[in-house]
Amino acid sequence: MSKPKIPKDKQLPEGGIVDSPKTEQEQMTTGGWRILRSIINEEECTQCRECWILCPDAAISIDKKGNMKINLKYCKGCGICAANCPVGAISRVPELDFDEVTIYRDLPY
Amino acid sequence: MKGEKKFLAGLAAVAEAARLADVDVISSFPIRPYTGLMVDLSQKVANGELDAEFVHAEGEHAQLAIVHGASASGARTMTGSSGVGVTYAFEVYSPISGGRCPVQMVIADRTLDPPGDFGSEHTDVLGARDQGWILGWAETPQEAFDNTLIYYRLGEDQRVSLPQFNCQDGYFVSHIPGEVVIPEKSQVEEFLPPYKLAKPLDPLRPYGHGPQIYSDQGPTLQLQRAILMDNAKEIIPEILNDFNKIFGRKYDSYIENYNPNNANICLFINGAHAQTARFAIANLKKQGVNLALCKLRFVRPWATEEIAEALSQYKVVGVVETNNSFGISREAGVFTPEVAASLYNLPESKRPILISFMAGLGGEAIRLEDFYFMAKKLADTAARKKIEKEVYWIGFEEE
Repeated sequence: MSKPKIPKDKQLPEGGIVDSPKTEQEQMTTGGWRILRSIINEEECTQCRECWILCPDAAISIDKKGNMKINLKYCKGCGICAANCPVGAISRVPELDFDEVTIYRDLPY
Repeated sequence: MKGEKKFLAGLAAVAEAARLADVDVISSFPIRPYTGLMVDLSQKVANGELDAEFVHAEGEHAQLAIVHGASASGARTMTGSSGVGVTYAFEVYSPISGGRCPVQMVIADRTLDPPGDFGSEHTDVLGARDQGWILGWAETPQEAFDNTLIYYRLGEDQRVSLPQFNCQDGYFVSHIPGEVVIPEKSQVEEFLPPYKLAKPLDPLRPYGHGPQIYSDQGPTLQLQRAILMDNAKEIIPEILNDFNKIFGRKYDSYIENYNPNNANICLFINGAHAQTARFAIANLKKQGVNLALCKLRFVRPWATEEIAEALSQYKVVGVVETNNSFGISREAGVFTPEVAASLYNLPESKRPILISFMAGLGGEAIRLEDFYFMAKKLADTAARKKIEKEVYWIGFEEE
């Protein structure tokens, strides 16, 4: 049986498998929800990637040196990374201890 | 046939094939009778014959999710199940084929509950026949061994990239040993290239699988998957040609049309019971009854034209249904409507009469006498040139 060809205007990546998004959706940042900020101690970090796997918002990425980087625009501060870090390299610091407290978008009110 | 001869049951044969195919990730969860496979595989991993990650899952659903992820990262994977285990994993079947992950799942059939029954009935995995997986049965341990390699080659081909149900009848094939020729490693390497996924998951090059889409993108994605199944059908002869050449076997592509006595009646059959049917055909020949056999090698992709062509040479065809589909058209199993649909477009003069036999349900053996009964009903129908009864329930019919 021959199936119809998929015309150009209807083509999609095979299986809907797509590259990870390269840009951020600025209207949907969630970093402002955070009360405690996760801080990774890079000297203690073994680069095991446990936090990278477990982060429910995929807010942790890996840089070229293999270090974990937390994207504060989207990290909600849930603390799953700190609770699961096998070597205890992640601590949680109150957001108000930081000098720059950033609200990432203009509030509508 | 080159290689070492061993006396192995179907699951042990598949484990040997997995060792030669150098499987990378295996996920297991116990259920009879397929568990025999994991017993053998775990031993092979433990004694160093097979370098694979062996993961104990907490259920069949997790089993499939594990090999889904492993396969998406570029590992050659194997898992398996039986009966209600196959149905418990159901949700993950479509994401795996939709994600183009050529996972291989070994099925040793078991009757679905209730009541608990270890016997082989094909209803378990036939329930998943619409999920975009390659699907087919082995008749003997040797064929189970060979299918393992053939399915990996077919599923991992870049033109296909689909998962496979590598099925065998529980007990009849999975636990009754037969002669298996184990080929050389070099032969397997020649036939089965290393697994290469087009877009493997990689921390440094992340991909998104299964994103949310708009409904108007749905048709394209479904058509893509349908085209892959078409491609699978197209390249099966090419792959079996290669296989037969390298390993010295004589497999037909989609169906085996076995008609040694030039018969005009034929049994259409799937799985282990074809063995008994062959003995019945030989015995019937001595009594002057000519019976042919058409054995399915692939249920998915279904070879519509080839089946129609093979069956058009007979006057009456009897479909042996080792599965049940309650309330289906013609009230037999799932193969009768598929065969009927395949024959529908033939000119009326070439279209055989189609009857069904419900046999071997719950794992009951189909005996030689049962095949003689089927042959009698087929011959009667051929003589009458008219259908008397559409479905016969073996063991419940009057002679």
